[in-house]
Amino acid sequence: MEFNGQGLKFNRRTLLKTTLAAGVTQIASPFVITARAADAIKIGMVDPLTGVYAAPAQNEVMGAKLAVAHINAKGGILGRQVELLVEDSANDVGTGVQKARKLIERDQVNFIIGDVNSGIAQAIAQVTAEKKVLHIVSGGHTDGITGKDCKWNVYRVCNTTRMEANSVSELLANKYGKKWHFITPDYAFGHTLYEACAANLKKLGGTVTGNELTPLGTSDFSAYLIKARTARPDVLLLLVQGSDMVNCLKQIVQFGIDKQIHVAGTQQELESLEALPPEARIGIWMFEWYWKQANVPHVDDFVAQIRKVNGGKVPTARHWFGYTSAMTFALVANQAKTLDAVKLAQALGDFELPPEVKLQPNKVYYRKDDHQLMTSAFIGEAVSKGASDPEDLFKVDSVVAGDKTAPPPAETGCKVQWPA
Amino acid sequence: MLQLLLFNVTNGLIIGAFYVLMALGLSLILNLSNVINFAHGGFLVIGGYIAYTITPYVGFWGALLIAPPLTALIGLIVERVLIRPLYGRDPLYSLLLTFGLAFIFEDGTRFIWGAQGKPVTVPPLLAQPLSYDFFFITGYRLFMVGMVIVTVSVLFVLLRYSRLGIRIRAGTLDLETVAVLGINVRTLRSLNFAVGIFLAGLSGVLAAGQLGLEPTMGSGLLMPSFIAIIVGGVGSLTGTLLGGLLIGVASGLTAMFLPAASEAIMYVLMAVVLLIRPRGLLGEEGMMT
Repeated sequence: MEFNGQGLKFNRRTLLKTTLAAGVTQIASPFVITARAADAIKIGMVDPLTGVYAAPAQNEVMGAKLAVAHINAKGGILGRQVELLVEDSANDVGTGVQKARKLIERDQVNFIIGDVNSGIAQAIAQVTAEKKVLHIVSGGHTDGITGKDCKWNVYRVCNTTRMEANSVSELLANKYGKKWHFITPDYAFGHTLYEACAANLKKLGGTVTGNELTPLGTSDFSAYLIKARTARPDVLLLLVQGSDMVNCLKQIVQFGIDKQIHVAGTQQELESLEALPPEARIGIWMFEWYWKQANVPHVDDFVAQIRKVNGGKVPTARHWFGYTSAMTFALVANQAKTLDAVKLAQALGDFELPPEVKLQPNKVYYRKDDHQLMTSAFIGEAVSKGASDPEDLFKVDSVVAGDKTAPPPAETGCKVQWPA
Repeated sequence: MLQLLLFNVTNGLIIGAFYVLMALGLSLILNLSNVINFAHGGFLVIGGYIAYTITPYVGFWGALLIAPPLTALIGLIVERVLIRPLYGRDPLYSLLLTFGLAFIFEDGTRFIWGAQGKPVTVPPLLAQPLSYDFFFITGYRLFMVGMVIVTVSVLFVLLRYSRLGIRIRAGTLDLETVAVLGINVRTLRSLNFAVGIFLAGLSGVLAAGQLGLEPTMGSGLLMPSFIAIIVGGVGSLTGTLLGGLLIGVASGLTAMFLPAASEAIMYVLMAVVLLIRPRGLLGEEGMMT
C-alpha cells in the first residue's frame, strides 16, 4: 500500500515507524516532564484518603493544593516551583509509614505533611526524624506529637488534645455541671483527650461517672448510651470523631438522651455537622477554625477560593490545616533562604504566621519549646440550620488564643533533642 | 443492675435483628453458589446511597420501596458479568473478586457522592423513643425489627412453598442433581443472587436511617454478618437467624461490662463455636469443608 503525492512516499513500513515513534513519544514524555520537574521543590503529603477519615483528609489535601498554587504564583520556594505529591495512608499505620518512606526515598521530597490519624502521624514522625526531613503534622491531635514524643523536625498545626480539653472544660462545668460521662475512641487520640478532660474535671472538683472506650469505626452506640444514661451524669461528653461522632449523635437524639442529659464535647468539625440531620446538630464544642469570621482580614478571600475548587462548599478547619502546613514551608524557607531541614526547623521556633495565612484574630505562632502551633479555639454551639448560609452550622461565642489553651511548655513533657 | 441487663439483652436482640437481615442475604448466596460475597457491604452502601438520592423525590417510604430492587438489579448485572464466569472454579476466585469489588464499590460511592457523610432523616413519626424508661426502643428501631420479621417470614415462606424457593433449597443440598433434573441452574443462581442483594439493599436503606451514611459503613457491618453465618452454621438459614441474634446480645452484654471488648466478643464467640462445634449451631455436617 503506497500513497504518492506532492513528493511524499507513505507506505506500510513508514506507517509502522510513525506508529512506533508516536508510541515511544507517549512512553518517553513522562520522563521529559520529570526532567523538567526535577528542579521543583517537592512537598509530600500522607493522609487517609480512604477509610473513616477520608472526608477530613481530602479537605486537608485540597487546602494544601491551594497553598501550592499560591506559593507558585508568588515565585515558589527560593525561586523554584513547588510540587505536591499526595499518598493515601488508608488509615493504616503500616501503609502510612511505607508511603512516607516512598515519598522520602524514591520521590526525594523536601518536606512532609500528615496525617489526620494521630497514630499514623506519630509513626511517620519516626521516619521523618530518621531521614532528617522537616515534617508538619497537619491534623493528628494526640499530645505526644508535641509532648513526650516530640522531635526536632516535627511541628504541628492542629491543636493538642490538652488544648482542646482546656478550651471547653471550665465552660461545661460551670454551665452544665460537674458529673461527666465520656464516650471515647479507643486509640491514642481518645486516650489522651480523655486524660486531659478528666484531669481538668478533677481540678474543678467534678467526678467522672464512666468512660466508654469504643472501637474506632463503631456503628452502633446504643449499648454505651444505655450505660451512660443509667449513670445519670450532668454532661455526656463525646470524644469520638468522624463517622463515629455522626453515628453517636444521631443515636443520642433518636433515644431522646439530649433532652435528659447535656450533650457536648471537645473537638467538633463541620464535616460531621454536615453529615448529621438538623435535629442532631446539638451541643457545645470547640472548632479549630471556622469559616465565618466577621472583620478578620483575608478570611473571605480564602473562603471564596476554596468554594471555587470545592463544588461551592465552604472550607473547614481541615482545609485550613492543609493550607497552613504547606504555606509554612514556603514562608520559613523563603525567609531563612535555605532548604536545610535543621536550619529550617530552628527558624520555625516562635515563627509567627502572617494574617493572610493565620486567618483568625489572635496571634498565631509555632512555640519554640514544643513545636506546637499556638492556634485559637473557636468555642460555641452547634446550630441545626444555618440562618444566612446552609453551611453556617456553628455559632462561635468566643475565640481563645492558643497560648491560653495550651499547657505551659514545661508541662508538655517535650524536650527537643537536636541532631549533633 | 437487673434492669441494665434486661436493657442490654433487648437492645442486643434489636442489633442482632439487623445483622440477621444482612447475614441472610450473604447466607443465601453462599449456600447455593458457594460465593463468599465480600462485596455484600458494598451493596448495602449502594442501597443506602440510592435511598439518599431518591428520598427528596419519593420520600423515605418511596425510597424504602424503590432502592432495594434497584440494588438487586445492580447485583444481577454484577452476577451476570463478573461472578458467573467463576462458578466452576475454586471459591477462592469469587472471594478474591468480591473482595476487590468491595474496594471498587467503596471508592465508587466516594467518587460519586463524596467522602463526607450524608444526612438521612427518618419520618418524625418513627424518630421518637416509645417510652422514657425504654428510651433505646425508638419507633425506627421497632420498625426495623418489624421489617426484619416480615422479610424473614416472607423469605422462609418463599423458600418453603414457592417453586423458586424449593429449587433454591434443593440446589443448596445438591446442585448437580437439580441441574440433571432439567432446572436452569444459571437462572436459579442469578435469581438467588438478586434476592440476596435485595436484602443487602434493604439493610442499606434501614441502616442509613439509623446511622450516618458514608462510604465505609458497609465494611463495619459485614464482619458481624459473616460471624452470624459461621456461628449459626453454614447452610442453615435458621442458624443464621440464631447466630445474628446471639452475637447482637453477646456484643450488647459485653459493652455493659467491658466496653472495649464489645467487638472482640463476636470473634471469641466464633472461635468457641468453631472449636466445640465446627459446623456451627444448626449447620449441616460437611458444609464447612
